[in-house]
Amino acid sequence: MNTNLVDVRGVTKDFDNGKITVNALRGLDLAIHEGDFLAIVGPSGSGKTTLLNLIGALDIPTSGDVHLFGHDLTAMSRKRRAGLRLTSLGFVFQAYNLIPVLTALENVKFVLELQGVDGGRHERAMSTLEDLSLGELANRRPNEMSGGQQQRVAVARAIVSRPRLVLADEPTANLDSENSEALLIMMRELRDEHGMTFVFSTHDPLVMAHATRVVTLLDGRVVSDEVKNAGEAAGGAN
Amino acid sequence: MRNPLLAKFALRTLGRNPRRTLMSIIGVGVGCSIVLYMTAFTRGGNEMRIRGISESGFGHARIAPATWDKTRDSDLRLEDWERDLDIANGMAGVKFTAPHSRTTALLAFGTRVAGVEMLGVDPSSEKNISRLIRVLSEGRYLEREDEGAVVIGTAIAERLEVELDDDLFITIAGAGGEMKYAMLRIIGIISTGSRTIDSTICHVTLAEMERLTEYPGAGEITIVFNDPSYIDALTIRLGELLEGPDPAISWKVVVPSQGGDMGSDTVFMNILVGVVIVVAVLGVASAQLTAILERKREFAVLIALGMKGGQIVRLILIEAVAMGVLGGAAGLVIGLPFIYPAATKGYNFADMMGGDFVAEGVLFDPIVYADMGMWLIPLAFAVALFSTLVAGLYPAWYALRTNPTSALSLREA
Repeated sequence: MNTNLVDVRGVTKDFDNGKITVNALRGLDLAIHEGDFLAIVGPSGSGKTTLLNLIGALDIPTSGDVHLFGHDLTAMSRKRRAGLRLTSLGFVFQAYNLIPVLTALENVKFVLELQGVDGGRHERAMSTLEDLSLGELANRRPNEMSGGQQQRVAVARAIVSRPRLVLADEPTANLDSENSEALLIMMRELRDEHGMTFVFSTHDPLVMAHATRVVTLLDGRVVSDEVKNAGEAAGGAN
Repeated sequence: MRNPLLAKFALRTLGRNPRRTLMSIIGVGVGCSIVLYMTAFTRGGNEMRIRGISESGFGHARIAPATWDKTRDSDLRLEDWERDLDIANGMAGVKFTAPHSRTTALLAFGTRVAGVEMLGVDPSSEKNISRLIRVLSEGRYLEREDEGAVVIGTAIAERLEVELDDDLFITIAGAGGEMKYAMLRIIGIISTGSRTIDSTICHVTLAEMERLTEYPGAGEITIVFNDPSYIDALTIRLGELLEGPDPAISWKVVVPSQGGDMGSDTVFMNILVGVVIVVAVLGVASAQLTAILERKREFAVLIALGMKGGQIVRLILIEAVAMGVLGGAAGLVIGLPFIYPAATKGYNFADMMGGDFVAEGVLFDPIVYADMGMWLIPLAFAVALFSTLVAGLYPAWYALRTNPTSALSLREA
């Protein structure tokens, strides 16, 4: 029986621009477990973002299998993958990517609206913002907030529907160290309180320091998979 | 509302680039106003045409003998004209009726002759349907009890060199082909202002016509409806009520070249309207597509978050609907200042066309007024909404094809 949240087996991913073929992933294997606070690291071009796209059901591999919550993504239609993303995945993007014409509260509520949640959208979204100390910013639009505040709203948007897995692409890349630290602590608390699993693609040593597991990619392959003891991760529960 | 934020998202998006949105709305508004103006003018022209035909004595429809449409024989008579007249008078929507009979006649005075189509009329009902007989230059029009009396046009009077109270010598081919002769006294001379029309007017009473030709009764019943908008439907209804051998035919059959002209005018106008709408659609589609390209990362994020294709299409179409509503309002604001003077003062084509406004015995008014009414409002919004919705389809399809992986990569954005 497969108890892994994500199972990536023998995955390759090629990009063909008509002139040259780029082998982004070359027979990659990876299993992600429930409760992981996992950092995927590696130099530019090592395949981090490509792997995140596959885990996030945004793309399908050229060969190999990706199982997400037991579903074989390669066998799923685009529409079903969209449904899976909507109900079970949360995304945090490097550039925040909040909807600029909606307020912080509306950005968070919007995910619930897309999910078809009928009642209590306002209360759930407000509660999530307050949990992340963003209650006072609820009616501000993204351009009225700092980068750190926007990224916290992006986290609120990612977790409001309590997804099992949150994927974060370079979430601290545009933040200073103080905001980065605060964001990572907040995410660790969410993992601890709600049992969510976090997967980061990052270059940031601070993220690696907070991660409970660090997977290193090089040339599209996993070259190391380091699991830390509870005490080793910064801010981890001792 | 099930998706209030989707609507809010769409509407606020219009405010992101106010200048582009404003230009798009003005573009739709200008296109819409051109459509409104052309439609108002064409409708006004068509109304003028139908009014001219009706008031020249042709009415909106006619009950005619079964074979008249093919033979155009003026000596044909209705099977039972009094029954047909009663049915027409009893039908809802009929305003006026007037029985007519016709024959070809040769008028002579001294050595001068003129060939005409003589018209037998019921004088009291004729006054209701024909404006031609209201412009008597001399004498009076016919009364029902008149005997041996005729009313002619000035052009005939001048050609025959006759005056009021002169006696015309009439030659006609009566029933059975036998030649008939009579003397008729001129009691009135009509001057419509058109020599063409005045050279065709030769009216006697129905009873006089019956005496002269020995063909009994009337050869046609001219009908004027209350509302010219429903001529076709009312003509069909009248035909159903008649249940006899003699059909009801609309003015388009009676004066086919005018029906053809009106049809071709309408087709030409529709083609122009189509061209204007296509130009407006392309303009709005271009602006919409630019906006979608600028928001490519946003759509990638929305798709990554799990937004369904239908929701993305709805988002873009809500933007299109909002732009259409504003464009329709702009169309009215831009168009009405042009339509209003065209509807109240009209355009005088007399100088452009020169002389008579006559065709096939129809005297037209040289001043054409645009038709201005509440119908402009739904048309404005229908044209604007159609344009913006069609214009939104390609950008929506393009947005649907956005690769969601670009949401996670700044390089691909």
